[in-house]
Amino acid sequence: MSLELHNYPQPDTYDELLDERQQPRPAARVLFDYVNRLGAKELAARRESVDAAIMAMGITFTVYSDAGNIDRAWPFDIIPRTLSSKEWARIDAGLKQRLTALNLFINDLYNEQKIVKDGIFPIEVLEGSKNFRAQCKGMVPRFGVWAHVCGTDLVRDKDGTVYVLEDNLRVPSGVSYMLENRQLMKRLFPELFKSSDILPVDDYPTQLYDTLAALSPRDAERPVIAVLTPGIYNSAYFEHSYLAQKMGAILVEGSDLVVKDDDCVYMKTISGLSRVDVIYRRIDDDFLDPEAFRPDSALGVPGLMRAWRAGNVGIANAPGAGVADDKVVYTFVPQIIKYYLDEDAILPNVPSWMCMYEDQREHVLANLDKLVVKPANESGGYGMLIGPRASEEERRQFADLIRANPRNYMAQPTLSISTAPTLIDNRLAPRHLDLRPFVLQSDKLYATTGGLTRVALREGSLIVNSSQGGGSKDTWIINTDDEEAV
Amino acid sequence: MLSRVAENLYWLGRYLERAENTARFINSTTQVLLDLPKDAAFGWDVLLKVAGLDDIFSEHYPQADEDSIVRFLVEDERNPSSILSGIHNARENARTVREVLPMELWERINSLYLYARDNASRASEGRGPRIEVLQGVIGRRESIIGLLTGSMSQDIAYQFIKLGRNLERADMTTRIIDVNSAVRLPRDPALAIVATERMWMSTLNGLSAYQMYRRHVSVHVRANEVVNYLMKNSHFPRTVLHCLGEVEGCLSVLPEHKDAMKKVRQAWRRVESMQLNDLKPTVLHEYLDQVQSDLGEVHTAVARQYFHLHQNNGTEQ
Repeated sequence: MSLELHNYPQPDTYDELLDERQQPRPAARVLFDYVNRLGAKELAARRESVDAAIMAMGITFTVYSDAGNIDRAWPFDIIPRTLSSKEWARIDAGLKQRLTALNLFINDLYNEQKIVKDGIFPIEVLEGSKNFRAQCKGMVPRFGVWAHVCGTDLVRDKDGTVYVLEDNLRVPSGVSYMLENRQLMKRLFPELFKSSDILPVDDYPTQLYDTLAALSPRDAERPVIAVLTPGIYNSAYFEHSYLAQKMGAILVEGSDLVVKDDDCVYMKTISGLSRVDVIYRRIDDDFLDPEAFRPDSALGVPGLMRAWRAGNVGIANAPGAGVADDKVVYTFVPQIIKYYLDEDAILPNVPSWMCMYEDQREHVLANLDKLVVKPANESGGYGMLIGPRASEEERRQFADLIRANPRNYMAQPTLSISTAPTLIDNRLAPRHLDLRPFVLQSDKLYATTGGLTRVALREGSLIVNSSQGGGSKDTWIINTDDEEAV
Repeated sequence: MLSRVAENLYWLGRYLERAENTARFINSTTQVLLDLPKDAAFGWDVLLKVAGLDDIFSEHYPQADEDSIVRFLVEDERNPSSILSGIHNARENARTVREVLPMELWERINSLYLYARDNASRASEGRGPRIEVLQGVIGRRESIIGLLTGSMSQDIAYQFIKLGRNLERADMTTRIIDVNSAVRLPRDPALAIVATERMWMSTLNGLSAYQMYRRHVSVHVRANEVVNYLMKNSHFPRTVLHCLGEVEGCLSVLPEHKDAMKKVRQAWRRVESMQLNDLKPTVLHEYLDQVQSDLGEVHTAVARQYFHLHQNNGTEQ
């Protein structure tokens, strides 16, 4: 019994697992051999036990609605996405290069602004940036690094090129699902992990711990690290708790912390106040410190910025790091890499048009039916226009939005993003997907082996966000023999 | 340990214990009803009184009949002490402190919650299904305790869960005993004796204490001996004195425990010195009230010492 690949609809784009002749690519061979041995019936049975395992493991994400918060089980597809270790090595280098340059860029923006003075980065873009925080000017955090944790979204186009779609430098989430997906797969297919060269992913919590510990202002053997969460109603709360647990860090809410007159951060414990060295914050800048940012924030810690500026606490990602997480800034990343590192970008950007420039804006407005238009500062797939799928009326409304606030928009061609076989009603069907690796930087650099593969479960859909009908897959970086690798 | 986390763990322990004991006392009451002679009278509303829930109940229900009361105690989310509310709260608490709990504990609490949510309504579909569902809750809850004792370090987090569990358990034991003070016995003295014996037997059964009572006290079930056993026996894990001993053990490893410890000893002395030989229902009820208020003072002292930084949102050292 095979997986009836002859019934697999030929995708009109690049397929991650199958080549043009519908044959498994080298990195996917082990998987297909195994799946075919297993048989469709057994596969379906294991598919069913996944849901039970997810329910039991309590892997959920929270969707907040007026009716209160609900936990949804994490939608998971049991057919993994595979990549060869050779291809991955190039991506890994590209990710590290990119984050290194972005950190140099952020540090420069808050200090000398050489890149602006040298005419590479336009001052208008900086002035129009919502995420530039004047409160951070003149700061140089440890190692000059601002974005310690980065989630980089990658997609592959029809011709096989892997592009960077965006850099998430504020509070990127999803890494816990990457780790849990692997746990699930090991629970379901233990045989596979014994026999093939699937590279492990589970050192991420240790790497994250080391990255954070390096930021400690005190030379303590074991610095006190806190994960700052907005609380259980946040959609990523599961992950906050998960990472704290895996790192042996303390999960805190804003109300657990207090900054005293000595500009140090303390947490409220059963035996009084106790000093905190490093905060891995999972709340946005706006809510971080009501003294410095939004005064109405109940999630933050009054005085936190004071403590950070005084060098008494490490904060990851540093306040203000989001300045480089902006879809308009994104378009400059290749130049940023060239400027700071004198290297060409290993991973290309998706070609983009910036609406702030008149000629590019005219092009965008004239081609709205072919383009994807994104607002500069939204995440989660909100507020964007997918031209080819929008109605004429929607496009007209969007054109008005662009004209009213051109700095806020950029446009890209609609990519024909790659697919992978996904189990839908016990048959394999192609579904579009992306990949979010996580990259860490403090005194050293690290990238996850693979990352979180998100898949749009609805037929034809390109939107992979879990809040909008997306699911995920385990991602296998396979050690293939060199001559075989793609 | 963060104050907030300590408080959540403490309530996690209390909520789960309350849910289990509520299941136990509904079960034992149901049993009593099956066993009582015909002319003995029993009002279900007594459950509401001993649980201290009569006011909330009457806000939502016109009539205090068996079905309404069981539904209210088992599945009504408007009742903060219903079994389902308790388990739901415990789950929410566990969620906020997941990082200090063994991974599997969350899985178990989650599956207890799913079980309760999906089955609670069956508790008002007759006494047979009721007992089965409540046993299901009790069994799953016991597996949680088993997991805690078997796979959690007896660290500070563990002590707060245990502290909450034992304070709640002591309190619930007094309430389960108290149910009997409200039963109107038959006039015929011979029948009254039989009824009394059945009643207390059910109480023992409800607390899973009958077998131990028989082995360690007597094969005869006499009111004063049962009360004496459930209040003062130091070996059976649901007695008031035993629970106080556990509370003391928890406090002894926590920092700055002087005030709370004093309150525990005060409660201990009161229980120990109780004269339980000739019990009139009204006297017993008063005794139990006193113990409950002593336990309340222990709670207040614990909260003041360990949770206040969090509760007051204060900044003092």
